[in-house]
Amino acid sequence: MGEDRIREMSIEKIIKKYPADRRYLLAMMQDIQKEFNFLPKESLGLMAGYVNLPQAKVYSMATFYKAFSLVPKGRYCIKVCDGTACHIKGSNILIDQIYQLLNIMPGETTWDGEFSLETVNCLGACAIAPVMLVNGKVYAKVTSGKLAEIITWYREANHE
Amino acid sequence: MKMIIDGRGIYGIPGETILEAAKRAGISIPTLCHHPAFPGQGRCRLCLVEVNRKGVKRVVASCTYPLLEEGEEGEEMEVKTSTPEIEEIRKDIVMLLYKQAPASKLMQDLFRQYRCAENSLRENSGEKCILCNLCARACEEMGTGAISLVMRGTEKRLATPFDEASPDCIGCGACAAICPTGAIEMKDDKESQKRHIWHQHFDLVPCARCGELFATKKQLDFIARREGKSYETSYYCEACRKKHTAKTIADFRRRRE
Repeated sequence: MGEDRIREMSIEKIIKKYPADRRYLLAMMQDIQKEFNFLPKESLGLMAGYVNLPQAKVYSMATFYKAFSLVPKGRYCIKVCDGTACHIKGSNILIDQIYQLLNIMPGETTWDGEFSLETVNCLGACAIAPVMLVNGKVYAKVTSGKLAEIITWYREANHE
Repeated sequence: MKMIIDGRGIYGIPGETILEAAKRAGISIPTLCHHPAFPGQGRCRLCLVEVNRKGVKRVVASCTYPLLEEGEEGEEMEVKTSTPEIEEIRKDIVMLLYKQAPASKLMQDLFRQYRCAENSLRENSGEKCILCNLCARACEEMGTGAISLVMRGTEKRLATPFDEASPDCIGCGACAAICPTGAIEMKDDKESQKRHIWHQHFDLVPCARCGELFATKKQLDFIARREGKSYETSYYCEACRKKHTAKTIADFRRRRE
């Protein structure tokens, strides 16, 4: 069995957890995104077929939400909050520093597939601004020094 | 329900929109994203009108505002399709849509017609699409749904999934036909008998009577499949079909006489 077929089967398994109705599309997408760190191209077709919608509708939805990515994300997904509070507290400096350290801009992934960077508009934790997430783990009041440490920590070992 | 549009008493049919009621009464409201074949989308906001109910004034999109069953005793809805405030809003909308699609002839004309002032807002140069979504509506209604609005915010645009040739597209050209700004490129090449649209080439079929290339093979297949019939060997274009039907009726009558 080819790798593609194996992936297809695991996508199908996720999709079939939900009833075949368009209102479950978002939940399916979230689960697929969680599993693969992005929405594989074939998953859109599979979902569309399952809920009996044109693929264009599913694609429209997948591109609308920032939470979904259609290109593979890095093993470690860095989300820097760039909401008002974090922005004032210097989140743009963090983004610049990440560019210097990893050579990626928001929306990009490092060549080795280790890190990807995204900005989010608010994580709802303004009191501890500037906030950053790495694979869902929250880092509060991030400074330049802290940021360098966090990146090194992830780069050096296989942390999950 | 009883209502007054621009000072004229009109009976609105429950379920229809202000726009439809106004149209029936011969009152025109400017629109861009509206087409009588579809329900109102409320996208372009050009059809905004002022509604006065029980002394409360609101600005609403007339293409989506439904007229309900009879209002409360003695309640009369008053609609104004043009007030200084409404005109000012429309002017801004036209200006913004022009900035979105400055290459569109329609928007250029409206920009002048509404006497919009030039400003420093960045223009989406070369763009003709005002994102009215009528093409996607038409495509969906056709039963194909090959195109849709994708991305969001300033990146929003009309596209096929992954900007690739879509297997759902039948090349019918309904999207290009309905587009108010001519933003969808469709090219029919008579020599090769091909139509190019949405990243792919379709075989064109000539009318069995006049020879005009009037539809794509995939489109006729699609229709035949939907009608539960097999693909016929000869098709007539719309004009010839009418002529053919008229002739059949005429022959029939002649035979009877």
